[in-house]
Amino acid sequence: MFIARKKAIRYVMAIFIIFSLNFAIPRAMPGDPVMNLLGEDVIVSESSVAEMRTKMGLDEPLYIQYLKYWSDIFHLDLGYSYHLHSEVSKVLFTKMKWTLLLVVPTIILGAVIGTPLGALAGWRRKDSNEKIMTMSFLFVYCTPPYFLSILFIYLFSFKIGWFPLKGFYTTGTPGDIVYHLFLPVTVMTLFAASRNYMIMRGSVIQEMQMLYATYARAKGLFGREILFRHIFKNASLPIITLVALDFGFIFSGALFVEIVFSMNGMGNLIYDAILARDYPVLQGSFLLITVMVVLANLLADILYGLLDPRVRWQG
Amino acid sequence: MKNIWSVWIFLLFLLSLILSTGALGADDADGMTLRIGTPNLVKSPSLVGDYYMGIFAHLSNPPLMRVAEDGTLEGQTAEMYEVSDDGKTWKFYIDDDLYWSDGTKVTPDDVKFTIEYYTANSVIGWLEDLLEEVSVTDDNAVVIELSEPYATLNQEFVTYNILPKHVWEDIDDPKEYTNKGEYVGCGPFYIKGTALEAGVLYFEKNPHWKGTQPNIDSVEVHMYSNMDVLSIALKRGDVDAYYKYGRGYPYANVRALEEDTFDFVVTDYTGLTFLGMNIRKEPLSDVSFREAISYAVDYDEIERIVALGYGGAANRGFVPRSMAYFKETEQLEYDSSNAKENLDDAGYVDSDGDGLREDLNGDDMELVLLIRSDDMDYQRIAELLKEYLGNVGIDVEIRMVERSTWFDLKDEYNYDMTVTGTTPWGMWMWANWGTGYFDSRRTGRGVLHTIDDPEFHALCDDIMSTTDEGQLEEYAHDVQDYYAENLPGIALYWGQYVTPYNDDWTGWSSDPIFGIYRLDTFLNVVKA
Amino acid sequence: MKGAVCSRMGEIQRGASSLSKLGAALFMLFIIMAVFSGQIAPYDPWARFEPYSPPSREHILGTNDMGNDILSELICGSRVSIVVGFGAAIMAALIGVVIGLLAGYFRGPVDEIFMGATDVFLMIPTIPLIIILAAFMRPSFWILALIMGFLWWTTMARVVRSRALQIREMNFVESARSLGFSDFHIIFSDIFPNVYNVVLPKFMLTIASAMIAEASLSFLGLGDPSMKSWGMMINFAFSRGGFLNGYWWWYLPPGLCITFVTIQAP
Repeated sequence: MFIARKKAIRYVMAIFIIFSLNFAIPRAMPGDPVMNLLGEDVIVSESSVAEMRTKMGLDEPLYIQYLKYWSDIFHLDLGYSYHLHSEVSKVLFTKMKWTLLLVVPTIILGAVIGTPLGALAGWRRKDSNEKIMTMSFLFVYCTPPYFLSILFIYLFSFKIGWFPLKGFYTTGTPGDIVYHLFLPVTVMTLFAASRNYMIMRGSVIQEMQMLYATYARAKGLFGREILFRHIFKNASLPIITLVALDFGFIFSGALFVEIVFSMNGMGNLIYDAILARDYPVLQGSFLLITVMVVLANLLADILYGLLDPRVRWQG
Repeated sequence: MKNIWSVWIFLLFLLSLILSTGALGADDADGMTLRIGTPNLVKSPSLVGDYYMGIFAHLSNPPLMRVAEDGTLEGQTAEMYEVSDDGKTWKFYIDDDLYWSDGTKVTPDDVKFTIEYYTANSVIGWLEDLLEEVSVTDDNAVVIELSEPYATLNQEFVTYNILPKHVWEDIDDPKEYTNKGEYVGCGPFYIKGTALEAGVLYFEKNPHWKGTQPNIDSVEVHMYSNMDVLSIALKRGDVDAYYKYGRGYPYANVRALEEDTFDFVVTDYTGLTFLGMNIRKEPLSDVSFREAISYAVDYDEIERIVALGYGGAANRGFVPRSMAYFKETEQLEYDSSNAKENLDDAGYVDSDGDGLREDLNGDDMELVLLIRSDDMDYQRIAELLKEYLGNVGIDVEIRMVERSTWFDLKDEYNYDMTVTGTTPWGMWMWANWGTGYFDSRRTGRGVLHTIDDPEFHALCDDIMSTTDEGQLEEYAHDVQDYYAENLPGIALYWGQYVTPYNDDWTGWSSDPIFGIYRLDTFLNVVKA
Repeated sequence: MKGAVCSRMGEIQRGASSLSKLGAALFMLFIIMAVFSGQIAPYDPWARFEPYSPPSREHILGTNDMGNDILSELICGSRVSIVVGFGAAIMAALIGVVIGLLAGYFRGPVDEIFMGATDVFLMIPTIPLIIILAAFMRPSFWILALIMGFLWWTTMARVVRSRALQIREMNFVESARSLGFSDFHIIFSDIFPNVYNVVLPKFMLTIASAMIAEASLSFLGLGDPSMKSWGMMINFAFSRGGFLNGYWWWYLPPGLCITFVTIQAP
């Protein structure tokens, strides 16, 4: 299990470094760290600044603060947001639930739609239908997410009037939630799918070039279908890792989509936190997203090991 | 190709399925509901702690006083008030016919509790040192005794929501208290619930309301984080009217709604957009330099481009026409040759021939025009100002910063000029007539606190300690003359509050401070 | 063997259909537009005419809320957007190629450390981080480009490394080593020229991502207002009534420009 251990060490390192960065940023920014950690408009008087400083342990030496920071994280204590009047971990938990509703279907649909279509497009890249498809995915790929979101909302919600304009739900029934999620998930799926499509198309073309000689020799022994299946399998394995890494990208995409669709998830939370300089929330969100990306990668590694005999054999 | 089409067919099937189920849940409205769309986002369901929730709660927990349509003060939860000549003792007579939504009667004890509770928990921080005693009298009134005169106390009480004592006395920290469900209220409607994931604040008719009976059964405040989508929601009929505190509907979007079935409430607006001068730093500390700048600006064009005809040319006296005791000072005038002459006379000449003027020591000067990034109008105004000042030989650098940095820089007086705005409420604060933005003793987030002239300070003190109307008018005129003479800030235009509403509805009313979000609107609107 | 490598890459390139040729042509067109924007633009993009005019003979794409000629803005905006794209891509390529080459050539502990660092960087949620940095530091647009490049070198490093691993085993590298050339010399004169093929697509991809990111930051109000970038144009069109009033000639062209200039990337 040498590879797995090496990977594990890297993940631990990644978490350690990013978390430490997170500790450093508010303390390194110009200005009073109390303000930076709490956000500006929270504090009214000088005396309460001092009070807060003591309460948050900011008058202690840095290494003690640093140790305390880690101990808080292990206790799942991410601080308190004076803007949102709530524990940061509680806020994050509520918002994350909703954003995952947006992100998870996107990742799955994006992979399920983008990968086979991309493989087909690579396989039959001379076909004019495939060219049109490639062109359209390319178009989506190269459009800023918010721009496409607004165009979609204008077209499908306003001009055609099929979908609601905002929020995660109105009544809160499962059907109602799906109805609200449909358009934003569609927009995000298009982005995720276009990425997978492009990557898959590229790797299938590459695999074909590599196997061309073999194929020429074996002509007659294998049907084209079998060959396609073979190439598809080879080319799609890296997709698992890519999908995991895309997690962060899709999260960022969710940020813009949430603003356009007035959805109260992580995206809007982060945006507001930036404007209000709500550092506890910013830090917490950053940590949470990092942990999720790392977990997704870990999952991808495990899946990869299960699916690819070469990796399993090496392990 | 076959499998691609099957994917699409599957997706279409899914779509139709969802549409059928989703549409079922969509309309099950019982009774008449007024839906208001707003870009003011409630961030947490905290009645006292959340800024916008507090404003929307003026409907459910009406403050003691309110603003009339003409901008004067009227009683609301307090039917009337009396103030002693020294401005230290205030007596508010509470409306005898108010009931909380849980059926209990609103008493002066609730008001006494609210004031003490807010003061103790630094919701009304400034009252802490001032408040001597709050007492309840037999004639259904609350008496507030202050240690110092505070002549604008009635004005302050336009914003503080009244809370039921029997609910809140067990809550330790009101600012940190959140509740997604019901809040007991005494207005015609009370807060039924907050669904932030749906982006809606629900109000339900207060069954114990004894006043004028509203024609609607509930009010919903729908929050949108994108302005374009909010406008689409208006056009589509998802919401019936628009509301944004302290700011009307964007002028540039009005045209798009005019084609539709929309009418507009247009009110003179007390807030304004102005060019603030850092009079603590050269060369803006020089009044003749400020004078020259006032002639360099093409006010008509700013009004045309930014306010799109919904504004009026402003006077040198800063204070807009919609405020009480307005004085007609000289109108601001665009005359660039006059500006150039003024600059030449004051000694700001271009001696090295690079087309740009130097300061009094003959050094190059580049003025920093500080603007906030959260308002696109300010950016456009800054672009124009840079050009106007360039035309008279003044070099300007636009520095755009995000909101919090703007607060820092202006508090450090680290700029030369800034384009910023006042809120209607802000025009009232401190000693009224915009003094809160300039008096160096009043600090805060949106204010410039640049003037430390004892004459100005004395004027503010006088205003704050008089309750005599005639005297007040005289002081008000003095303040406007002071602005006109010293130009600590130049009002770029006086705007109007434009509020679009669906013309199916009638009965709207509006005031210069809160716009259409006032009890009269909710009691009178009716759908045709 | 060196020749063989090149010819196979060439095959792939040739195979990459007429689509990419079209993309490349468009891209060149935009570069020319950016370089000669001063000469091509019909007006000074800051000059003001009648605001909100629809397309006409004088103003092919009409004018915006300030009365600026939209076509001229569009042409001059290409410069900002392309500088952002190239700035980010050059920065990313510099870091990515160096790290990839060193990791791939030396292998062992060097590889371990560099690839470990790559993994760490890969997991940083870059867009949120860029937003935070942009909000607090208010960098000018080219510093922003460098920040993006600094965060986006990872994929570049990965592909360069695997290519370098392949090439270092090849005969001509072996012989260079046996002739006693220094590692530094081998890396930069023998291996470096051969990674060009894998770097180029990633380079283009980074240009595209940076442009889209710049537009997105402008949408959040974090752009550089002194620059008329395409992102700022869209932002103004949205916030100043262009979208709602249906002035498609205002908000659509900059959006399409972003799409068309980036479309060569994949």
